[in-house]
Amino acid sequence: MCGFAGVARREPRGVAAATLGRMAAALRHRGPDGHGRYAGPRVGLAHVRLSIIDVAGGAQPLGNEDGSVLVVYNGEVYNYRELHAELVAAGHRFRTRSDTEVLVHAYEQWGPAMLDRLNGQFAFAIYDRRNETVFLARDRFGVRPLFYSIAGGDLWFASEAKALFASGEVAAEIDPVGLDQVFTFWAARPPRTVFRGVSSLEPGCFAVWQDGRLRHGRYYELDYPEAGEEPGDAVATLRSLLAGSVGLRLRSDVPVGGYLSGGLDSSIGCALAARESPYALRTFSVTFDDPELDERYFQLLVAQELHSQHFVQGIGPGDVARVFPDVVWHAETPLVRTAPAPMYLLAQLTREHGIKVVLTGEGSDELFLGYDLFKETALRLFCLRQPHSRSRPRLFERLYPYLDARSRRGDFWGRFFLDAGSPDDPLFSHLPRFQLTARIKDFYSGDLRATLAQDDPLDELRAALPSRFSDWSPLNRAAYLEMVTLLSPYLLAAQGDRMSLAHGVEGRFPFLDHRLFEFAARLPAQSKLRGLHEKAILRRAVGDLVPSSVGQRPKQPYRAPDVPAFFNPEPAEYVRELLDGSNLARTGLFEPAAVAGLVRRCHAGLATGFRESQAVVAIVSAELWHRQFIAERAAMQLDPLPMPVLAG
Amino acid sequence: MDEPDILARTRAYVHETFLYMRPGFVLGDSDRLLQRGVIDSMGVMELIGFLRSEFGVVVSDEDITEQNLGTLADIAGYVARKGANGGNGGPG
Repeated sequence: MCGFAGVARREPRGVAAATLGRMAAALRHRGPDGHGRYAGPRVGLAHVRLSIIDVAGGAQPLGNEDGSVLVVYNGEVYNYRELHAELVAAGHRFRTRSDTEVLVHAYEQWGPAMLDRLNGQFAFAIYDRRNETVFLARDRFGVRPLFYSIAGGDLWFASEAKALFASGEVAAEIDPVGLDQVFTFWAARPPRTVFRGVSSLEPGCFAVWQDGRLRHGRYYELDYPEAGEEPGDAVATLRSLLAGSVGLRLRSDVPVGGYLSGGLDSSIGCALAARESPYALRTFSVTFDDPELDERYFQLLVAQELHSQHFVQGIGPGDVARVFPDVVWHAETPLVRTAPAPMYLLAQLTREHGIKVVLTGEGSDELFLGYDLFKETALRLFCLRQPHSRSRPRLFERLYPYLDARSRRGDFWGRFFLDAGSPDDPLFSHLPRFQLTARIKDFYSGDLRATLAQDDPLDELRAALPSRFSDWSPLNRAAYLEMVTLLSPYLLAAQGDRMSLAHGVEGRFPFLDHRLFEFAARLPAQSKLRGLHEKAILRRAVGDLVPSSVGQRPKQPYRAPDVPAFFNPEPAEYVRELLDGSNLARTGLFEPAAVAGLVRRCHAGLATGFRESQAVVAIVSAELWHRQFIAERAAMQLDPLPMPVLAG
Repeated sequence: MDEPDILARTRAYVHETFLYMRPGFVLGDSDRLLQRGVIDSMGVMELIGFLRSEFGVVVSDEDITEQNLGTLADIAGYVARKGANGGNGGPG
């Protein structure tokens, strides 16, 4: 895994080595094993490398036979061996055995159509000197990031936004609409980001820069052609696809470890890896002092069964607050949960134990309807078909079993879900979550409210839905919304790529093989959610690979402490400063009097519900984000990384 | 304590606890707390704690209904009834 950055100028006026050096310095955590640059009259490229495949030969920027096509690349193309063979047969000559070089020749051979052939997680920039174009692309599900900005008529691009700002040519400014999306969906919706003028290339998309213009295209779209009945061989097919996906993701010249949450998905990945890996498996888990959040019992059960060498990152009082400024720096966005912080520490532990590649279970809940949100959607539809039923709403008491039992009883719990919106609304499934998250906006300053007066993030999302969305079943609509609003821009980004790459650790996601997604998308919903039993077919197909108590275990979402992380009972010094009225007034995002009320309730131990917990995290993270990126412009203070010229 | 007093104290509590961040919010005594986004199910638990500490009223699980706790006026009426019945019974 790596990071890259670059610029494509409209006019051939050159690119300073120091500019590329500063951009690379901002990404150095992503690739501590090496770095290189190319600087031509129009285009400059910088790369920082985490060596995983062809450790000796994969340095970048990397060119084709005559150096007319150059690539900088972050990610993995798992089927690179097959593509290598195909391209050699077509007459291409390779100098390395890296997947990076496969990209160069694949581009020469197939042009942008190469993207259909790649199975992997990637973002890259290819500079074609023959026609002075830069071709940017990102993987189907958005595992790897790619940000860009057009400033001064030139295209700037990078794996993280901070590298754009480090150039000194792209200004870090607030995008209030992007912030409002974070406080609705948990993340800004690509292409929008929380920085004005900075875009995120959408998953499954590419862009071509030529003659000072950027043209966009999409090569992959999520679709749910749901079958009426489950195919007879579905269980066997699923098992085979999953084993194949794990097998591909074990392709590496360094040992591959596994994150083990204690749930079904990561356990399956680790179990398959333990069978196929040439190395003794090393597994890594987060544990919490708070027993409500802790899953160590199940983690140890799986680790023992797999005979893995198991390492644990304990999260105790003060840990989240201690690393939270670094977490926000790497995430580059305000957050509404602290859950990325333990992942940041877990990546640190993983790297300290010599592992730089880990398998992890993200994607399974979206593919196989694992989250309670899907049950909630089914139950809301069931209840709304007989709105006067007294018994049906009681079924809501079976949802979210990890929350306080008393708060899950009675009229209020059921009404919260039933009053959230109509099934005719395309966002029906997600309205309870979106509405709950949006309560953060109660703390907005008057100025921010006024700025956003014409903004409606829900309407914008409705308008952006694909035309076939209305043809999908309610559960598949929910699955789609989960993929595009949460998985890609938050779970894989702020909580995924940005946390693991902060320590030079690459996550690999067996459930996000596009063939597995397409298989799951064709299954009838009842194969996945049977009554209120989630991931039914997954349990049938591979449940035997894990201890039965894990195989039958209901979904336990990964959570981290929120208010107690910052008020224990006194706040950390930086939290006190950030929440002080004078700082809030200077920043202008939140109303000081409202925040003072929240702080009083935190001190008194009364801020225990979702609304206030998420508000604390949102306000602390937004103020940190503002301080680091907007007020102090920290990315511009970096010293350039001295970089060897590897191509040109 | 009579019902208007209970209503006034409950109104003050709700503003202080659930509406401190929305100072301009106008909440009528008959406005539904859930539908107007004032309270959620976790908030209901907090409200129940308040009714116990402030008025000595223990709310049983069966009594956690919109009929009893749906509006400020409903809450005041419920607490007054419970008070009249000794704080632990009532029709709910």
